[in-house]
Order: sequence, then structure tokens, then C-alpha cells
Amino acid sequence: MNCEVCQLKELEVEHFEIREVLRCILHTIVFHRALGLVRPKDVDLELFEITYVQCGDVELEKKIDEKIDHFISWVEKHPNKKSQICLSFYEVKSKQPSWFTNKTERLYWEQWYVNLNVTQHPKHHSSKSHHTKLIVDPGESATEERSCRRAMVEASLREVLFQIIKFVNEKKDHVPPISEGVIYFPYEITIPRKFQ
Amino acid sequence: MEMDRESGKLEQIVSQFRSKILHVILDSRVPSLHHHHHQQQQESLSHSRVRKTDKWFNLVLGDRPPALENLNFSLRNLFDPMVIDIILVHRGSCSSSVDNLYSPSAPAAGPADETVIERWVVQYDCPRFIATPSGADACVSYKKIYKKSIILLRSLYTQMRLLPAYRIFKQLSSLSQTYNFDLVYKVSSFSHPFSREEESGMKEYIFAPVEALSGCLSVSVTYRATLSDFNLEPLVSLPPKIITDYVGSPTTDPMRSFPSSDKGAHATSFPLRGARPPSSSPFQRPHSWSSGFHRGFPSTKTQSLAGSPPVYRISPKPYDIASPPTDLYGNRIQNQRVSTLQQVTAYDEYKSSPPFSPSASPSTPSYLSGTNPLRTRHCSETAPVTIPLPLTGRSTRYLSPNSSDPSRHSLPPLSPRSSKHDASSQESPSGIRSYRKIEALRAGESPSGLSNNYSAQKVVRDSKDDSGRFSALLSSSGSPRIGFSRSSSRLSFQDDMDDCEFSCPFDVDDVDVSDSSSQNTEGKKASEFTAQSNLVGKKSHDAAVGILVHMLRTAPPLRQDSSCYSTHSLRTEYEGGVSIASGFFMPRKTADALEELNSYREMKDLLLSKSGTRVVRKEEIK
Repeated sequence: MNCEVCQLKELEVEHFEIREVLRCILHTIVFHRALGLVRPKDVDLELFEITYVQCGDVELEKKIDEKIDHFISWVEKHPNKKSQICLSFYEVKSKQPSWFTNKTERLYWEQWYVNLNVTQHPKHHSSKSHHTKLIVDPGESATEERSCRRAMVEASLREVLFQIIKFVNEKKDHVPPISEGVIYFPYEITIPRKFQ
Repeated sequence: MEMDRESGKLEQIVSQFRSKILHVILDSRVPSLHHHHHQQQQESLSHSRVRKTDKWFNLVLGDRPPALENLNFSLRNLFDPMVIDIILVHRGSCSSSVDNLYSPSAPAAGPADETVIERWVVQYDCPRFIATPSGADACVSYKKIYKKSIILLRSLYTQMRLLPAYRIFKQLSSLSQTYNFDLVYKVSSFSHPFSREEESGMKEYIFAPVEALSGCLSVSVTYRATLSDFNLEPLVSLPPKIITDYVGSPTTDPMRSFPSSDKGAHATSFPLRGARPPSSSPFQRPHSWSSGFHRGFPSTKTQSLAGSPPVYRISPKPYDIASPPTDLYGNRIQNQRVSTLQQVTAYDEYKSSPPFSPSASPSTPSYLSGTNPLRTRHCSETAPVTIPLPLTGRSTRYLSPNSSDPSRHSLPPLSPRSSKHDASSQESPSGIRSYRKIEALRAGESPSGLSNNYSAQKVVRDSKDDSGRFSALLSSSGSPRIGFSRSSSRLSFQDDMDDCEFSCPFDVDDVDVSDSSSQNTEGKKASEFTAQSNLVGKKSHDAAVGILVHMLRTAPPLRQDSSCYSTHSLRTEYEGGVSIASGFFMPRKTADALEELNSYREMKDLLLSKSGTRVVRKEEIK
């Protein structure tokens, strides 16, 4: 089976925006891959005027938040670096048991790469940053710049979401059949090695 | 056989898909349906039940609006496209919606602009050549198609929240604000082509089709890329406007004059959707109906009257109460496009709006409802007029407990010979009626203490004589508001009362001075009043207003025969009446009240004389 790969457009975000952006993107992807019975839940972003959809599974939400926390910790250790988070969907195939192994095998049929460029703007205060002691410039130009930048990030995020929709629409044949009682396909969220 | 079964399943998938898509779209675009659905969702969440319709495409959306069933019926031909237009109804920005409240004669807000901001087209195309797969392949095909349909629906659901119209929908769904626009929908099997100008601002997105052996299911959306051209803003909340002709509330003085202008107490000043009436206004209770014009559906007449009042009801054109705007809209659409639409389409357009009234829709203001009980009581509606002011300084003292209030100088003059009295009396006939109406409207909302007075109305109905009415009212009322009655009876008391000596200012018996027995009881009643006035005190202003209203309402029409002014019933009722409880809330001197009473009588006589009605005086009866 082919593994479809989707490289999402790179987003330039600030540290405090990572959580919201990642939640939005990851949940949107999972919602399109949670083909079991779901009760969609609309979530409004706080930083941007975007509403995304969750599949309403509490366990899933918790797992995604954990992974995002893990990612944020990694970013804090590697500031001002491009980073990537990978969401993969797989099928569990049991390997032919042998004397030496009885493992199951994961067959990845789809991978999503979320590309982030986490920046630390010297003029902007980051509440989670340990390294910066910033003096917030209360001037009008700083506010305008901030709002302009925010609008750009929002537009980029929208583009990414449209990209996800386009991808899931165009490529459907590789999606495995829906199992009874299963809400979403098995998945994993990782930080690629080359970025570690 | 197998093929037939699979083909049937496929048709079922396509049919359910169309219904589901419609449900998704309406739930994300029509605020009224969204409110209904949201409430149901809250209920269903608590019960954790999944409906049969929710299981389709594994997407729990809650109950389908009833209109969907009708639409499904009308669009049951699967090969007809389903075109769903999301229309932005934009009323001309009118921050003077507030002004409309007070100047109903002012031109209403301009006609609403309707713009299609989104068009969803769901189509199931039949291929030219239909392959005939084997049984196993057909089964696999059906499942794959179903899976792909699920994915398509998911992406459509997500996309709905990313398009510009969603922001408008969210604004409208917020009940905290009201806006000068609304979102409605239209479902048809035919799409009216966009004009070039419209097309220039539109973008299109075509979802990847789901290909089946017997057809191809496709969804596309054409949408306006930006909605910044529209002045989509919340309606200005009512500014702190000083209402100079405010009719009255329980906290204001019931003796306040009523202006002769059309402002203020005009009961037909229906607040526009966004214009919340002043909270203190007695005639425009704030109503929280959440949608405006269309609300996405044509409500039936009864529904529109009883349930959700579309805003356009107050507009003299093009809508009226009898024809709900949505019906009108539907009809207009039919008139304009009937030549190009199929019959099914016309039906759809009429039915494009669910007939139900969502829970967010509150009750109609009673005076706009066709079944308004208050309105049925009055046969005429006129603007409130000024009740002539009392002329003598002495009289003004007794008009209100707070004589320093300049607004108190609006009561009828004590002396009927004053020019001021004459001038103002000309207006009072209609003014009385409108005042009655206004006060009745108020009284309908006033504390229950007034209800006694209205029940008394039945008793005194036949007693057209003012004094009889006055006494009968008070005698039959459980808690008569004598002072209020007295003030209103100024307009109706007879001249012969001038010579009466009042033992108490608002004693009922003062109207029966012609009756010797009444004179004997006056002293008693005066003492009763003295005893009880302290009890009542300033208990209820609106109770006093209610009494005045009652008095005015039970006053005989000016054109009635003089036989209506018989005092026989008065006597009977008075004699059978109970002891008077002077419930007026303000202590006054008897003499002052008497003067006031006389002035009312004179006023009444003057009015009657002008209308040509013979005034039956008690002296004549004697």
C-alpha cells in the first residue's frame, strides 16, 4: 500500500502561538481520519479568528495535548530553529510469527508533516520564554506590526487548513476500510529524527 | 438481483448524503436553525442518544429540522441538482431605528438587500455508460463509496467553518447583539446564474467527486471571497435618549400629561430587530427574538402572529403583518423566477424555510399580534393628546403629591371657563380614547393590583354616568384606587357636582350628591378615606394609572345617546355598593379634591356639549 505524504506549508509562529496552531492543524487532520461515529465539536481559536473541528474524543484530545507539550519542550531547548512534527496513520499488521519475533508491524499509509518556524521576535514578549527579558514597546507602530503579523499567521494557517482539505479530498483510495466500533485510525505523533 | 440491491443501497447513500449535506449547511449558516439544533444537542448530550439519522456518515448532527423532510420529498429525484443558496439579507444601515421607535411616521429603513454569498451545489450525475460489476465488486464498491462520502462530508464540515460566511453566522448566532443583517437560505433544483458583477467577487471550490459505478456524486461551492463590502455591523443599542413624551411607568407620575404628538405612546412603534426598546418603556417591552427578516423560513400566519415576529412587520412596505416576510420573499422569488424554475423548485422555495419557530424566538409583543386582546378593546387608535391643565393654582396642588413637579400641570383645569381649558378640550375626546388605549396597554402590564379595577369594569359597564361609574367602580373593586378614579373622572363629572361638599377628596359618594343618602355617607367615607389613605400611601402609582384608565375606558362615547347617562344604575349600584375604601395613595384636602372634581366635570360637559351630546345632569334627574 502506498503511503501518502503531505508536506504542509511552513508556518512562522511565535512560541506562544505553537499550542494553538498545532492543536488546530492536528485536530483537523484527525477529524478527517476519524471515520467512526463522531460528534463534531467546534473550537474557536483564541489568537486567531479561525474555527476548527475536533472529533470530540476526550482521549484523543489528551494525547494530542501531550504531544504538543512534548514538542514545545523540544522547541524551548532548540530555539530559533525550524521544527517539524509528524502525524502518521498506520495499520497494524501482525508479522508472520517466527522463532525470533512475534511482533506486529505498523504499515503507515499516510503521513502529515507540520512545518513550523518558531521565531522569537525581540520586540514581542513571550510568556513562555526563559531567555528573553523584553521590554514591550507600547508604541503604536509595535501594535500595528503585531496585528499585521498576527493577520499573516492567520492567513497562513487558513491556507494550511485548506491544504489539508484539498489533500483529504483528492486522495481517498489509500484510506483503509473502516472497522466497526473504531472511531479513528491508529496514529502516532512524532518529531522526526533529523530535527532532534 | 444483487445489482439491484446494491443500486438501491447506492441511491440510499446519495439520498442520505444530500440530506446530511443540507443539514450541515443549514446548521452552519442559518442562525435560527442553529439555535434550535444547539438546544437539542444539549439535550441529546445529556441523554447520550444517537439518532438514526446521526449514524449516517458517522456524523452526529442532532435532529434534522422538519423542513429537511419536506425538502427531501421535493428533491427526491436524485439526478436533479440540489442548489442551496445562502443569502445575506442586509437592511440599510439605520441607526435611526431608534428614531423609528419614536417617529413611526418617519420613513422606514430602506428595502433589504439580498445577496447570495454562498451557493452549494450537490449533484449526482448519471454516467453515460454504467458498468455492471459482479456481486462482490458491487458490494466493495458500495462500501468504498460510503467511506469516501464520509470523508467528503468531513471536509465539507471543516470547510464550512473556514469560509467568510461562517463569521457572519457566528455573529448572528450570538444573542448578545442584534444586527442589521440576516442569513437565510433557499433550496432549489435550479440555480439562477450570477450576474457578471456577482461572479467577479466569487470564488469556487469543487470538492473531489465520489465516483460510483452508477453515478458521480459531486459537491461544489461558489462563495464571495470577501464580505467587507457589506456594512455588517451590530445595530446601535438605543442611545440614552430622553423621552419627553414618555407615557408613564409605575415609577412615574400617573398624572403626567400626554403630548399631542404622535411620539412616545404610539403602540405601533415596533422595535426593529436590532433596536431594543428602552427598558422603561411601557409599550415596548424588550424582546429577545434573535433573528430578523427571514429566519430562513416562511412561517404560517398563525405562527407569525403568535410566535416569531419578523422585524419587517412595522415597515409599511413591502411587508405587513398578514404576510410573513418569508412568505413574501418566497412569493417574490416565485414571481420573479417562476418562469425559469421548475414546479418543484417553486415548491422548494416556498418551503425553503422550516416552519418551526426556534426556541430562541420569544413571544410577540401583544400589541403587534393579530390576536392582541388589548387592541380588541379599543376601536380607535389615535395619538395621545394633552389633557388640559388645571387652571387654578389651587387645583394644581391636588394633582400630585409633589406639586413642585412642573410636569404635574397637565391635568384638566378646575375652571371650565378658561381658554386653556377650551383649547385643550378639543383634543381630549380622541385623547381620552388614545389615553385609554395607552393606559390599557400599560395596565395590562401593571401589577395585578389593577386587575380588580378591570374586573369592576364589567359591573359598571352599563352605568354611563360618570359618577355612577365612579362609584360602581369603587364599590365593586376590591381595592379601589379612588384617587386615580377621581382624577380621571374630572372629565366626566357633571356640573351639578360643583356645589357638592366633599367630605374627602376622592370619596366615591361625591358623585352622588344628588342622592341624599350619599350625602349622609360622605362623612363616613371621608373618615374612611382618612383612615385608609395613610395605609395606601404611595403604594402603587400604576394602580392609580390603572384606575384612570378604567375610568376613561368606561366613559361613554361622546356620540352615544343621552340615555346612556342614566343614573338609575348608578343609584342601584351605589346603594348596593360596599363601603368605600379610599385607596388613593396621596392624602389631599377635601376641598382641593372637590375643586378638581368640578373641573373635570366641567371639562366633560364641555366636551359633550361640543359633540352635541346632551348632558344629563343630576339636577334634571331630580
